[in-house]
Amino acid sequence: MTPFEQTFENLLRLDIWALAKLFVLVFLGVYVAFAVVLVKQVKLMTAVLDGNLNLPLKALALAHLVLAGMVLLLALSIL
Amino acid sequence: MGLYIRLKKGDKIVANVPTIYRAAKNSPKIPPKSRDDQARRLDTVEIVKEEFGHRTKNPLAAFSILPHKVSFETQEIKEQIVLLLRKHWITNLPWMAVTLLMLAAPAFLKFFPLLEFLPARFQFITVVIWYMFVLAYVLESFLSWYFNVYIITDERFIDVDFYSLIYKRISEAKLDRIQDVSYSQGGIIQALFNFGTVTVQTAGEIPEFELEAVPQPARITKVLNQLLLQEEQEKLEGRVS
Repeated sequence: MTPFEQTFENLLRLDIWALAKLFVLVFLGVYVAFAVVLVKQVKLMTAVLDGNLNLPLKALALAHLVLAGMVLLLALSIL
Repeated sequence: MGLYIRLKKGDKIVANVPTIYRAAKNSPKIPPKSRDDQARRLDTVEIVKEEFGHRTKNPLAAFSILPHKVSFETQEIKEQIVLLLRKHWITNLPWMAVTLLMLAAPAFLKFFPLLEFLPARFQFITVVIWYMFVLAYVLESFLSWYFNVYIITDERFIDVDFYSLIYKRISEAKLDRIQDVSYSQGGIIQALFNFGTVTVQTAGEIPEFELEAVPQPARITKVLNQLLLQEEQEKLEGRVS
């Protein structure tokens, strides 16, 4: 059974921890969207002011996005 | 070299383009500016070098003199950045202190078991999400400090403000529209670390610019006043010739 199917079945049984897991996953999904906006923000800012730290800042924003995605996957698998 | 027509008050243009061109060709030429842009830019750079003596290479500096490899969105081809200013680094201390507390917070869970009611896997994910928050907070705070800048070029003054994630405001004023420059420095911290607020009054759409918590406000005021003087001299030389 895949994690999604397991989660759905637990929901049907109204398992409190399944609901908590769903809540955490939704929250992390929103957080990933925020991380995407952050990458966009850095791109916008570096377009306005082009300096020596542009590349490291873009890399950091991207790393944050990747980290958010990984945490989402981690939550999906271990919760 | 362009052709110009000097119009007097009450003149009406009723001719078509070829007629205007013939009239312009036969009219007396408007004399060119007495000093070219290159000479003026060199003077501006000399003013700054005389005041500060060196160019800043540190990309994290709050006070950058003739910054290297830095440009901005609306910069013209030959326009040179003279000063790049940010808020004094000490204004970052509050969020840095909050960051340290946030980093240490999970360690206090040993003494205050707030997450005991959660299963171990939920506790682990909560701590991971917490540290991710801390990273986002640090990144946002740093970006807010790094990209909210004041730029003084050899032609104008620009204020770049990022208010939130996607809202930016860029205000600018030509140097010859600046009417008055003053600064204020209040409190022990500002006096100790030599930072304050420089107020620039202009004749433009935005009447006043405030450079808040910038380092060495007295020197910034001095440089701006010298640049204004240079602009005044340019205007006088243009009129006399």
